[in-house]
Amino acid sequence: MIANKIQIVMATAFMLASTLTHAQSTLLNDSRQSISKPLAVAYLYPEQVTIPANKPTTIALHFRVASGLHINSHTPSGDELIPTTLTIPDNSGVRLDSASYPRGADFTLPLDPATKLSVYSGEFIIQARITAAAGDHLVEAKLRYQACDNTACLPPKTITVAFDVIGK
Amino acid sequence: MKRNTLVITAVLFILAAFGWAGWANWEYRRQAAERQQALALHAEVIPDASGGALQYVTPLQGKSAPPFTLEDLGGKKVSLETYKDRALAINFWATWCAPCKIETPWLIELRNQYASQGFEVLGISADDLDRDDPAKLSGEKKEIAHFVEKMKMPYPVLIDGISISEPYGGLDQLPTTFYVNRSGVVVAVQVGITSKDEIEANIKKTLGIVK
Repeated sequence: MIANKIQIVMATAFMLASTLTHAQSTLLNDSRQSISKPLAVAYLYPEQVTIPANKPTTIALHFRVASGLHINSHTPSGDELIPTTLTIPDNSGVRLDSASYPRGADFTLPLDPATKLSVYSGEFIIQARITAAAGDHLVEAKLRYQACDNTACLPPKTITVAFDVIGK
Repeated sequence: MKRNTLVITAVLFILAAFGWAGWANWEYRRQAAERQQALALHAEVIPDASGGALQYVTPLQGKSAPPFTLEDLGGKKVSLETYKDRALAINFWATWCAPCKIETPWLIELRNQYASQGFEVLGISADDLDRDDPAKLSGEKKEIAHFVEKMKMPYPVLIDGISISEPYGGLDQLPTTFYVNRSGVVVAVQVGITSKDEIEANIKKTLGIVK
């Protein structure tokens, strides 16, 4: 009888200690994730496309610019501004024949209303005309952009835009 | 006897279980403190509470400006030490930074206004430089020089600011300006553009006109 009670107490103590430790571990992992830097541009979709092999085909790549930020369009208003540009590495089995970018929206910084900038904000779509060899290809396209908010700019960045292309 | 042994065992087990939990708690706090210390060494760009605009956190304020030596556009090496005993605005900018173009004329005007009191601006370009490709490097230097000429910057302009980004907190946003007093201490940091008045207020801090 006493032995049973002792076993219950021991089990309860063990469970309490385990729960406490698990909770601390979860807190630690959560706080590690929260200090990572946000990306100005996120690739949304598609994750996979199936297209006819060896035939140029247009696919729509969807992106989102983080709230409060904008990036230069593909045709920014000044030579010194960095255009948003999509490329596909040569060795991926998929060739980028051309890319059609959306027209940039006119934008002025509050402190310089006289200067018009051409930017993307929110969601935007790049129409990429690609040709794929037969088979499955993991494409790691690159999107180079340069983001700003109303008062400051982030350094130019190149992100990987990963999607599967199945050439049939 | 047997009962006593069981009780003692149970008590020891409970003590051990709570001891283990206590150790885990201590370990958690230790790692949290390490993370705080790591953050203190690097400025961070973090989303604000609303998830929109970015905030800048820098630990350099109130500390000595990190020493550096950089080249100017003519290839001459210039160090921070050269400007010892001067009040400074160390202004990081880039040719691709639209807000920098708005701020630069304000800096020029205020620099000319306060130069006689011992104030100087060091303009540091944070444009990428291809040091391994002489042709590209030459083109990049020309672009910077063109910007300097277009903006009519009358103060020293240095290049390759990225190489000193780490001691200056990462330079995650431009323009970023560190205001340094005559003792070499950073008295204010301004990230992004606000107003000419705010720049002037910071210059006055470097000169000791206001606290």
